[in-house]
Amino acid sequence: MRFPCGVRGTCATVLVLSACHGPEGPPASETTTSSATFCERVLPRVEAFMARMEEEHPVPDDPRYGGTVVVSAGVEIPGGMNAFTADSDEAFQHQLNVNLMSLLRYGPDLELEPYLAESWEVSADTTAVTFHLRDDVYWHDGERTDAYDVAFTYERATDPETRYRNAAHWQHYVPGPEGVEVLDSLTVTVHIARPHAEPLNPWQAVAVMPEHLLADVPAGELGGHPFGTVCPVGNGPFVFLEHRPNESWTFGANPAFPEGLGGRPFVDRYVFRRIPEPATLLAELLTEGTDVYLGPPLEHLDQIVGEPHLDTLSFPSRGYDFIAWNQRRPMLADARVRMALSMALDRQGIVEAILGGHGRIAHSTVPPFHWAYDIAPEGAVVYDPDEARRLLEEAGWTDGDGDGIREDSAGDPLRIQLDYALGSQRRSQTAEVAKAQLREVGVDLVLNVFGYTTLVDRVTDTVSRDYDAFLLGWANDFKLGDADLFHSERIGQPLAFAGVRNPELDLLIDTLDLISNRAEARPLWHRYQELLIAEQPYTFLYFPDRLVGYNRRLRDLRMDVRGYLVNLGDWWIDPAGR
Amino acid sequence: MIPMILGRVALMVPLTLGVATAVFAVLAAAPGDPATLLLRPGVSPEAAERIREVYCLGCPLAERYLRWLGALASGDLGWSFTHARPVADVLLSALPGTLLLAGSALVLAFTLGTAAGVVQAVRHRSLLDRGLGAASLVFYSVPSFWLAVMLVVVFSYGARNVWSWPVWFPASGSRGLDHELLGPWSALMDTAWHMVLPVAALTLVMGAGVARYVRTSMLEVLGQDYVRTARAKGLPERHVVLRHALRNGLVPVVTLLGLHLPLLLSGAVFVEVVFAWPGMGRTMVDAVLTRDYPVVMAASVLFAVVVLVGNLVADVLHAVVDPRVGDG
Repeated sequence: MRFPCGVRGTCATVLVLSACHGPEGPPASETTTSSATFCERVLPRVEAFMARMEEEHPVPDDPRYGGTVVVSAGVEIPGGMNAFTADSDEAFQHQLNVNLMSLLRYGPDLELEPYLAESWEVSADTTAVTFHLRDDVYWHDGERTDAYDVAFTYERATDPETRYRNAAHWQHYVPGPEGVEVLDSLTVTVHIARPHAEPLNPWQAVAVMPEHLLADVPAGELGGHPFGTVCPVGNGPFVFLEHRPNESWTFGANPAFPEGLGGRPFVDRYVFRRIPEPATLLAELLTEGTDVYLGPPLEHLDQIVGEPHLDTLSFPSRGYDFIAWNQRRPMLADARVRMALSMALDRQGIVEAILGGHGRIAHSTVPPFHWAYDIAPEGAVVYDPDEARRLLEEAGWTDGDGDGIREDSAGDPLRIQLDYALGSQRRSQTAEVAKAQLREVGVDLVLNVFGYTTLVDRVTDTVSRDYDAFLLGWANDFKLGDADLFHSERIGQPLAFAGVRNPELDLLIDTLDLISNRAEARPLWHRYQELLIAEQPYTFLYFPDRLVGYNRRLRDLRMDVRGYLVNLGDWWIDPAGR
Repeated sequence: MIPMILGRVALMVPLTLGVATAVFAVLAAAPGDPATLLLRPGVSPEAAERIREVYCLGCPLAERYLRWLGALASGDLGWSFTHARPVADVLLSALPGTLLLAGSALVLAFTLGTAAGVVQAVRHRSLLDRGLGAASLVFYSVPSFWLAVMLVVVFSYGARNVWSWPVWFPASGSRGLDHELLGPWSALMDTAWHMVLPVAALTLVMGAGVARYVRTSMLEVLGQDYVRTARAKGLPERHVVLRHALRNGLVPVVTLLGLHLPLLLSGAVFVEVVFAWPGMGRTMVDAVLTRDYPVVMAASVLFAVVVLVGNLVADVLHAVVDPRVGDG
């Protein structure tokens, strides 16, 4: 039999191409082999050590011990327990509160407190910080966590080959091996290139990684290492047991977790389940298939509180929603116009109606949990449509033809394209309200909806900047850094959405980044908030609260701005409810 | 038949490449890439650019296409950006869930649908026929997503919390929390219990379509002269239907089965989403939303192959069942 010409030609092409491929990412065959080898090597050691620890640390005679707690959400934990690739809240929550440990952590008062490091000193000239580690923390395979792990983590995190996501953490540190010094097995010094604000903040955000397991992995391959999602080995209160991709993560209580840090968790097992559909999440909470439902929409809250065995929690998030106005567009270049747009929006009404009161209006990027937050900043934007109309008139926008839409002197209408993304009912509804309320002051807001990735790609395109305005959410770190957003030197960078050029704002951003003394910085933070209000690069909409539905059999839950798993080790299950 | 099969198999290669090329072109035209999603406070644009560089996301289109094609030809499906694992691992971990769910639904849908269609045809215009017809119309028409959610509302939440039925089913997942601690038989029952609602959602919709096809086909066959002759010879009605009419009546069903075979690989996205069932459908959708190109491309190629194989199987089965169909 003869094959048709086209088939023969195709086969020949395939044969040629198979000889000249370039893999994208680590070669699959090598990684597969090494991942099997890695997991085969580490998991039995973990099992053996944990078995020994169970014998040496039996479960205390306390009725609070026991049971399995299940937390469910619509998302996975991308990157798993790999601190070098963490860039989602779920990843941070599970690395820092469940399986791994950071050197420091924030306490309930948002002051840094010891965790893996039991003490620390900052040098007088603030160019070095020395950490003293606890001597009773062990990796789950039996190796003690020591200063070499910290040094390894730091060297890798500051290595560009690692592609560590939050590079800004180390902006003012000395990178690489020159920046870290192991003084002894439990003492490590990290060198700071330039004194700056909140120098210790990165050490509560980065989980320390095991040097003895990952030291021989090249920096460029750390991102794809099986440690993250296949067989992580931690040192935190919970031991990794199983990961079923896109389905669940299961962790077991660590019997050897130091008593000084709370000791063995009360629950035997913690399971994180991914359930994409909100209706199913609600059904699982109602039928006790999950104990915690993260992020229910407002319309689910009534049904949750209507069940006697369920309740809800609301706590501040670290994010805010905003409308960015592209000042590169002539119609939005005038600060009076931007101020008018903000004053025309009833943000408190939006919080009440769309967020059900679960949130507070935002005045600037500075969140309510920030130590320098101004409750009543000078010039705070209030809902005042009449003043909005006056400002627009003053800026030259009048309704000459009586059609309800203002025009400039050339007759061009004040028509603004507002882009927003699918997937957030809160933002969709906010966009609709904004359209209606701006119409009342003579602004024609045209809504354009995009897929999330498409929108992000559109607004970060530094070449075209083809948008008038867009509505998005933003997540703050505990240390605020708005340079990427508002500094004029970065106006050509992807995150400079608004195109701000304000020399005083530049100076404040630069100065605040370098002042480590809070007393000195406080008046500057006040001025920063005032200036952001006056400039209105964004309409700062609100800081939404995070909502959680949970089963009342769970006790001692604490969820706050630090996250929803911040005291997971203290959760216990009412014995009657097990 | 052999030459027909061999010819069709040979044509699969260019057809699959054509599908893969089309998918690649569409993905390349879509805005955004995985590096875009990384941009957030604290993430330097340099980090995003570094990722683009490592994964050749900024390379010329032709170069990316040829690199991918070359890797595929040597069996390398690539590396998943979002899962940080080989694509083969990602797909292989999702495949068993889809095979189990879709395979069970296929078997049940075709068995029950065929039975319902035969009964309707034999009891033509009876109350049973009308009742089954109405039911099949409803299940064929309702969106599968809505049906899945309703099954959860009624047989999970309603059955347990509202009406306190003795039996209720879990709303999601493929296994219970203590699955690993169960013995083999209990584990099997645990999995089966979790499968009831998602399989029902798929079976009801698919089975309704099969029933309607079988009913129409059987009615046509039961009106044929040879069937009348069989009855005239005094054969029992059961014999007439099952031995003489059914084989010819199932010819379109055989074709339908072949066309549904790709479901074994592609899964049913809506059902997998509603029931949080780990499968190929959800994996594919997640990959598209996060621009995980290697997963999308590899899955597209696999789907294309399975569709082509499914069509071939349909044609072969058709020829087997109906001797009048030759090699043409």
